[in-house]
Amino acid sequence: MNRKLIVLLSLVLSGCVSSRIEQSREAVTGIETDEAIVILGKASYNDRETEASFTDCIVDELSSGSSAIKLIPQDEFKDDLYPWFEPRTAPTSAEDLGKLFAEPGVRDRIDEAKVKYLAWIEGDTVTTDKGGSMSCTLSTFGGGCFGMSYWEQDASYEASIWDLDKLTTAGQISAGASGTSYIAGVVIPIPIIARPGNAACKGLANQLREFIVGDS
Amino acid sequence: MGSAHKLKVYKPKTRNLSLIFTAVALILLQAACTKTVTVTGTLPTPLVERVPANVGVYYSDEFKSFEHKETMPESGTYEIDFGSQNLKFFRNLVNALFTDVTEVNARELPVEQQGTFDAVLVPKIVKYGFLVPAISTLTFYEASIEYQITLVDNEGNDLGNWKIVGYGKAEGELFGAGKAVGEATMLAIRDGGARIATEVTPRIATLLSNKEMSNRELSGSDGSESPESEAENTGEMDR
Repeated sequence: MNRKLIVLLSLVLSGCVSSRIEQSREAVTGIETDEAIVILGKASYNDRETEASFTDCIVDELSSGSSAIKLIPQDEFKDDLYPWFEPRTAPTSAEDLGKLFAEPGVRDRIDEAKVKYLAWIEGDTVTTDKGGSMSCTLSTFGGGCFGMSYWEQDASYEASIWDLDKLTTAGQISAGASGTSYIAGVVIPIPIIARPGNAACKGLANQLREFIVGDS
Repeated sequence: MGSAHKLKVYKPKTRNLSLIFTAVALILLQAACTKTVTVTGTLPTPLVERVPANVGVYYSDEFKSFEHKETMPESGTYEIDFGSQNLKFFRNLVNALFTDVTEVNARELPVEQQGTFDAVLVPKIVKYGFLVPAISTLTFYEASIEYQITLVDNEGNDLGNWKIVGYGKAEGELFGAGKAVGEATMLAIRDGGARIATEVTPRIATLLSNKEMSNRELSGSDGSESPESEAENTGEMDR
């Protein structure tokens, strides 16, 4: 009974999210069970950067389930190939991979770890609109919240998949999701939360899995 | 006031009030108190070709125990002690960059050590700074470290020096300011290390190679470089 109530409440209190996925393939892909991929969040020196929680979410999605893909943790990969995947030194395109692989030890280290693909994740979730008002009071006689506020978020991410055997771009997948969250104050605040970041993560991870194993 | 009934009514409210005041006081204290930042992280070994050179490296006491203390009205006092982690990182880094590395106790070598090394490397922290979201209005914490790498010969004369800035940024969590500053600082150390490995070391290799060649050509002379060539080896490499 309690479980049903929790499920019902979650459904009622979850805001609507609309999402879209686009894919462009440039090469045939496939992966063996002993081969791995690496998910890297694109780091930059500007004020916008892919959240670590988003790449963690992609990793969790890809490494779970019956068709789980072997993943090398981002930190481990960066440490093993230091200083070549730091924000300042990381290759900016698949064309730069040839130059990077000419550095002593890089090719061997990647072959040793059997890394077949590298997926760069770029993008972020931003609040595009917000409004309404809600005020809460607390006194010795009690308290409560009245009013309503909302905010709209837009999540937009792109994965660029590089083939580390062929040193080329295998393709790109982009995922976008938007949703509006509300908090209605009727004495107690009732949140109806939309999670576009989570929807974009699941959509991107599923498409990425299909993209990589699809042709094998 | 004296009745037991009244006491039963008012006691819980007094407790609630004190809980609220305690929570508010804790939040205010969080902003005002001193945050001791511990810088931790992995010490990766650079995957680069070692320069075939026998170098001495001098870490000054200031470098070994570098500390930064700063008070910000918006977010309290930060005490950042990253000398130890920075030293461990540099030892690992320098040992991976050159074939033979020996730590020396002074920039000017004692007579018995003179002539032992191809050159002596002297790293220095010139400046450290960090930014918190309350000041930068961005959503993350930032740190930057300006390093100066000086290369001297066995007599302590400058062969070249390079200034580089390492930069790092980290996402912040509620009540996790100290941790975020620590992470940003560690990333700044890594970034500085990456620049030393990929930008400074090739220049040092060229300089040592040229020095060796000119020493061979000018055998019998003192072998020191001209002021012009020294100026060429002095550079600032900003962000």
